[in-house]
Amino acid sequence: MNAKTPAGPATDVPVAVRDAIARLMTEYANAIDNDELERWPHFFTEQCLYQILPRPDYRQGRPIGIWFCDNRDMLEDRVSSIREVNVYEPHVYRHVISPAEITGMNNGAWTAQTSYIVVRTMHDGAMQVFSAGRYVDEIEVDGAIARFRKRIVVPDSPRFDTLVVIPL
Amino acid sequence: MSQAVAARPMRDLVTWPQEGYTRVPLQVFADHEIYSWEQDLIFRGPTWSFLGLEVEIPEPGDYITTFIGDSPIIVVRTADGGINALVNRCVHKGSIICYEPKGSRKRAHNFVCPYHNWIYDFEGGLKTIAFEKGIQDKGGMPEDFDKSKHRLIRLRVDTIRGLIFGTFPEATPPLRDYLGPVMVEHIERTLHGKPKILGRYSQFMHNNWKLYVENSRDNYHPSLLHAFFSTFKLNRLSAEGGTRQDDRNWHHITFTKRYTDAGDQAYDSGMIRAMKTNYGLKDPSLIDQWMEYPDQITNSIQSIFPGFVLQQILNSIGTRQIITRGTDKCELVWTLIGFEDDTEEQTYVRVKQSNLVGPAGLVSMEDGAIGNFVQQGIKGDLDNVAVIEMGGRGVGGMPTRATETSVRGFWKLYRELMGV
Ligand code: FES
Ligand SMILES: [Fe+2]
Repeated sequence: MNAKTPAGPATDVPVAVRDAIARLMTEYANAIDNDELERWPHFFTEQCLYQILPRPDYRQGRPIGIWFCDNRDMLEDRVSSIREVNVYEPHVYRHVISPAEITGMNNGAWTAQTSYIVVRTMHDGAMQVFSAGRYVDEIEVDGAIARFRKRIVVPDSPRFDTLVVIPL
Repeated sequence: MSQAVAARPMRDLVTWPQEGYTRVPLQVFADHEIYSWEQDLIFRGPTWSFLGLEVEIPEPGDYITTFIGDSPIIVVRTADGGINALVNRCVHKGSIICYEPKGSRKRAHNFVCPYHNWIYDFEGGLKTIAFEKGIQDKGGMPEDFDKSKHRLIRLRVDTIRGLIFGTFPEATPPLRDYLGPVMVEHIERTLHGKPKILGRYSQFMHNNWKLYVENSRDNYHPSLLHAFFSTFKLNRLSAEGGTRQDDRNWHHITFTKRYTDAGDQAYDSGMIRAMKTNYGLKDPSLIDQWMEYPDQITNSIQSIFPGFVLQQILNSIGTRQIITRGTDKCELVWTLIGFEDDTEEQTYVRVKQSNLVGPAGLVSMEDGAIGNFVQQGIKGDLDNVAVIEMGGRGVGGMPTRATETSVRGFWKLYRELMGV
C-alpha cells in the first residue's frame, strides 16, 4: 500500500520525542518476547494499521501480506485467538532491534524505520533466525507516551517457517 | 526413470495393505527411494502441475522460474504470445540458467547460461556455444559436435482461466481431460475475471509433501483443528456443504454454502457486514464480505492432483502450489489474487480477509504445523499404517464434509501411477 521509502533522517527531533519513541520500541519488543501479549494492542492508537508485508510485495506495492489489522480491536481479537484457539508448539521470540531512524513527520505522526531480527526458540530448545527485516512506522507522540498509528513489518524473506502465530 | 533407475523397483520398496486405499503405509512419508520414484512417476509422470499465472508474464520475453517437484522450470512468454516451459538445467554441466524468480529477455529473446554462456532459444534449442571454435584456433568443441542433439527438456503447456500448467510426457491427456468437467467448471467459476496478484508468500513446512496434499483434501479436520470459526461463533454463517470429485476421483472440491436465512448482517452496496453483537470478536469486520458467486458458496477448496490448490475463503481467492523439498520438507507457495475489475472496497475486503489464510492465517496456520506433528509421530513406526475410513471405504463425491473420500481418491491415483 505504501511502498515509499522514507526520505532520510530528521535532525531536528526533540529529545523528549526520541526518548518516547525509543521507549515504545523497547517495550513493544519486550512485551512480545516476555509473553505479555495482552500489552501488545496498547502500543497502538485505536485507529491503527498493523501489517506484516514481506519485502518483495512491499517493494512492488502489493497490498496483501500475512497479517492485516486496521484497528486496535482486531489486534485484541488476535491476542484472544492466540491464547484460546490456535494450535501450535510452544515457542518464544527474542527481538533484537536497531535504534530507530526517525525520518520525518506525516500528518501529525513521526515516521521511523527500525531494523529487527527475531530468533525463535522452540520448547525443545531448537533455535533459528525466524525473521529479519525492518519496521516502517508512523508514531504519534503525546508528551511521554508514544503509540504506533501504523506499523508495517517488512520481513526480508517472504518465506515463513511453519507458522506465524505470535506477532513480529 | 532418470532418478530412480539405480534404485530398487517400487514394488520391492512397499507392499500396499490388502485393505487398499483405506490404508496408507507410513513409510511412503519418509523413504528416500520412494521419494525418487515419485519425482519420476508423479511429477514427471502423466500429471499436470501448476506453474504460475499468465499475468506474471504479460510480454514476450517475460519469464518466471518455478518447480515441478524437485525439477527447476522456466516459464516464458514467446514472441507469438504463447507460453513455453523448459527445464531450467543447462545441457553442458547442469547449471540452472535462470536464477531469478522472474525477469525479462525482451531484447535478446534467448537464455544465456551464467556458467559458460551457452545460449538457448525459447524453444529450448541450443543456439550458441561460447568459444565453439576455440580461441585463435586452439581448443573449442570437436568438429562433429552437433548442437541440435543437445536441447533443454521442453514441457507441454496449457492454461485455464489464466493459470498455467505444465506436464512432461507426450502421453498425458490434455489438461481439460485430465481435470474433468467438474474441476474445469469450478476453476472457471472461481476465477471469474482477469486475475491480479495482490500478494505472494510461502510457508515452509517440515513434513512430506503428501501430508499437505492429504490435508488439503481432508474436509473432516477444519472445524476440529481450526477452532477459530467455532470459538468466535463465525460458523453460523455457513450451512452444511459437501465434497465433489471428478469421475475418476483424482481431484477434489470441498465447499460450504451460506445459510439462506442468515438475517443478522447488515447489507449495503452488496457488502454483508457482520454485526458486532452476534459474534465473539471485538471486531467482526474481518468477515465482512460480498456474495461474489451466484451459487452462494462462501468457502471452497479445490485440490488438483498432485500439488495444486485453488482456494475461495469468503472473498479471499488464491492459489497454493506445493513444492517438494525432500522426504520430510515441503514448501507451499501462496498467491493471493483479486480481479482487474474489483472495486477499491472489494480489494480492501480481500486484504482484510487475508488474515484468515497463509502462515499467519486464523483458520489455516495450524496446517503448517500439523503435517510436522504427523511426521514426528510416525518416525518410529514406519512399518505401520494410517487408517482412512471416515465417510466409508469408497471414493466419490458426498453431500457431507465428514468424510475422507478425497484423501482416498488421492491414494487411488497415487497407487496407479506408482504401480503399488
Ligand atoms: S553449465 Fe551452462 S554453459 Fe556450462
Ligand atoms: Fe486445514
